[in-house]
Amino acid sequence: MSLSRSPSPVPGGGWASPGLNINSGRSSPTRGYTGGTSSATPVMWESSRLKKAGGSGYPSFQTQGSGFLSKHMRKISSSLPRFNTSNSSPYAEKEKLGRGRWSAQNVPLLGRIRGLMGRMGRKMKIRLLLLFMLLFCIIIFYNTPLVYHWRRTSWLGGGQKFVIILAANIGGGVMEWKGAREWAIERDSVRNKKKYVARWGYDLEIVDMSTKKRYAHEWRESWEKVDFIRTALRKYPKAEWVWWLDLNTFIMEPSYSLQDHIFNNLHKHVYRDINEYNPLNITHPMTEEHLDPDSRSPVGDGNVNSVNLVLPQDCSGFNLGSFFVRRSPWTDRLLDIWWDPVAYEQKHMEWEHKEQDALEQLYTTQPWIRKHTGFLPQRMINSFPTGACNENGNDTRIHYDQKDRDFLVNMAGCEWGRDCWGEMYNFRELSYWLNRNPWELFKEEFVAVIWFKLTGQKVKL
Amino acid sequence: MHFALPPRKTSNPPPYMPRSKRLHTLRRSRLKLIAITGLFFLTVIYLLTRGNGHPKLKKRMPTGNPPVVVVTVFDEAKYGKGYIDTIKENRIKYAEKHGYQTFFANIGDYDLKGAPGSWTKVVAMRHALTKYPECHFMWYLDQNAFVMNPQLKIEDHIMKMAKLTDLMKKDQPVVPPDSIIKTFSHLTGQDVDFVLTQDKEGLSVGSFIVRNGEWGEFFLDTWFDPIYRSYNFQKAEAHALEHIVQWHPTILARLAIIDQRLINSYSQGNKGDQYRDGDIAVRLVDCVTAGAQACETESQRFTQQWRTSFGKS
Repeated sequence: MSLSRSPSPVPGGGWASPGLNINSGRSSPTRGYTGGTSSATPVMWESSRLKKAGGSGYPSFQTQGSGFLSKHMRKISSSLPRFNTSNSSPYAEKEKLGRGRWSAQNVPLLGRIRGLMGRMGRKMKIRLLLLFMLLFCIIIFYNTPLVYHWRRTSWLGGGQKFVIILAANIGGGVMEWKGAREWAIERDSVRNKKKYVARWGYDLEIVDMSTKKRYAHEWRESWEKVDFIRTALRKYPKAEWVWWLDLNTFIMEPSYSLQDHIFNNLHKHVYRDINEYNPLNITHPMTEEHLDPDSRSPVGDGNVNSVNLVLPQDCSGFNLGSFFVRRSPWTDRLLDIWWDPVAYEQKHMEWEHKEQDALEQLYTTQPWIRKHTGFLPQRMINSFPTGACNENGNDTRIHYDQKDRDFLVNMAGCEWGRDCWGEMYNFRELSYWLNRNPWELFKEEFVAVIWFKLTGQKVKL
Repeated sequence: MHFALPPRKTSNPPPYMPRSKRLHTLRRSRLKLIAITGLFFLTVIYLLTRGNGHPKLKKRMPTGNPPVVVVTVFDEAKYGKGYIDTIKENRIKYAEKHGYQTFFANIGDYDLKGAPGSWTKVVAMRHALTKYPECHFMWYLDQNAFVMNPQLKIEDHIMKMAKLTDLMKKDQPVVPPDSIIKTFSHLTGQDVDFVLTQDKEGLSVGSFIVRNGEWGEFFLDTWFDPIYRSYNFQKAEAHALEHIVQWHPTILARLAIIDQRLINSYSQGNKGDQYRDGDIAVRLVDCVTAGAQACETESQRFTQQWRTSFGKS
């Protein structure tokens, strides 16, 4: 029984010096790892045994300097975990006393932690616990789908009350060939909405506007909107508000939730008296004496809960590039009445914007429409780039301003002689730049600035 | 520093605080527990009562005062004053009997923007709704018509839910005989806000009932849309109605077609079902083309009749 142990009184260890416990009756280690042969060998100091076995005439160490590995190997390897790999001996080499090897290294990890905890004060323990709790919470909330479901449920976040309909695949076909730019616009726009929806737990419905071919027999192009909204309301029975978005839109501030941005304080944001901003010069309120007081009041019944249609106005009237409709019997009626063959037959020549003009017509003539329509300041949900509506120069009511961190940009009309993809790209990059995370901010706004001041060179980190 | 003598004790020592029993029972740890539980419950209550954003609008229920408004539009320019007064008397007497109200309008009262005068009935109905916002129903009855059976009440005779479910014709072509648009077959009396009849030519707009409510306003506004008034429908508002009923399911789903004689019997049978004794009302249809005088003559035999039946009851 060859024994070589470190001299520490580790439980179950025995003594390092051979012979000490040769007949001591201790049974540890009970057997050699290499079987019977080693038990027959006489007691021997381990180091001398090694020298004998592996030496074969060469010195056991080299004094000549050699490469990095041979110089530092020992240091590196001494920090690696140790395994008993020698085939002749069950244990590691003989330990020299006072060489300063940690005895605790042989204690298992759990034991070591237990020891650490034992030595720690109660206060420290609680602090550590809190830290772990915090970490746990961060992981739960930000690295698991929990936060998504939290934001979706109707009684916590209420995300499933909102459906975004994105009109994709406009154009296309033989007449308007879809090139790389068009595909890129579509890709960016869809990705932007998808991210937003995933963040806040809303639903996204991407609709294919090219299905208008189906209407070819009665040709009511661009009223597909109505059918898509109706379908979405059926498909998402828990949805309360439907948000229609054109393809050429970009959500600049994905950190704004619809609830915070608009709907929690709808009564503050929405204006029902169109005289507040009235580019179409619609006479409001109605004055006919056969109408009820609510219809003749400029603000309907004044209760924000009766607003079922929320839309912005741009420089030339209603804008249906980004608007909200709420599920209600009233909405069913609107979607039903919106397209009417008699109206279409009389007006289709002058209705340049089709369903938008039809809605303006309804708003102008129908008291029941007015009573339930509210308007949002355009820049809340539908800022324009400087290229649109610029006959009178820049208008603070209409055009995007990055200082105010407008929510959404609608590149309305960019297909008429403007560069859609260029605008989309610029706004995308601007949005990323405005919403940099703290680390990027630190790098670019602090380190890079200091570096620039010191060396006069601009760096990209 | 050391003083030679210890400082003097104050001569009026503070009294000991009495040991509070309450504080004793509520130890610090227990207080903590109570606070945590309280906080937890408050959170739960907050989460549950936070409101689901937008509470549904409360549907305004009219009180039913008066229960029914009888609406009639007169053509004072064309018909004699005596004739019109007789008709007004007929309406007022019927209304008084059941606590109804009447609403009379004249062609020319409203600016129709050049549309035929018969459109006045639509806007008059809307006006009646404004004037009597608490009524349950409005019954439009044409000028050349008389209430013959004052015992029958609109809300019992026709508009009672269960009864209406039986009365309404389901899967009936809207414009006979072969319109592909038919009334829905799954509706019950509860769904109905608009009751009218058909004669041999199609939907008849001489006598119809509209229930007061959001839908009623929507329907009348839509019907009165200037875009229909300017379209030159051959039969003005009657054809406009046929148009919206066939094109807009939200209107068709609220409509019931009932037997003509229930509210709309004709004095002669060549255009529709003929009046029989006991019917609620009779309309003189054929005389309209012949002129005002013809109507006044024809009306005389019915005038006798309704005066006696009103006197009896």
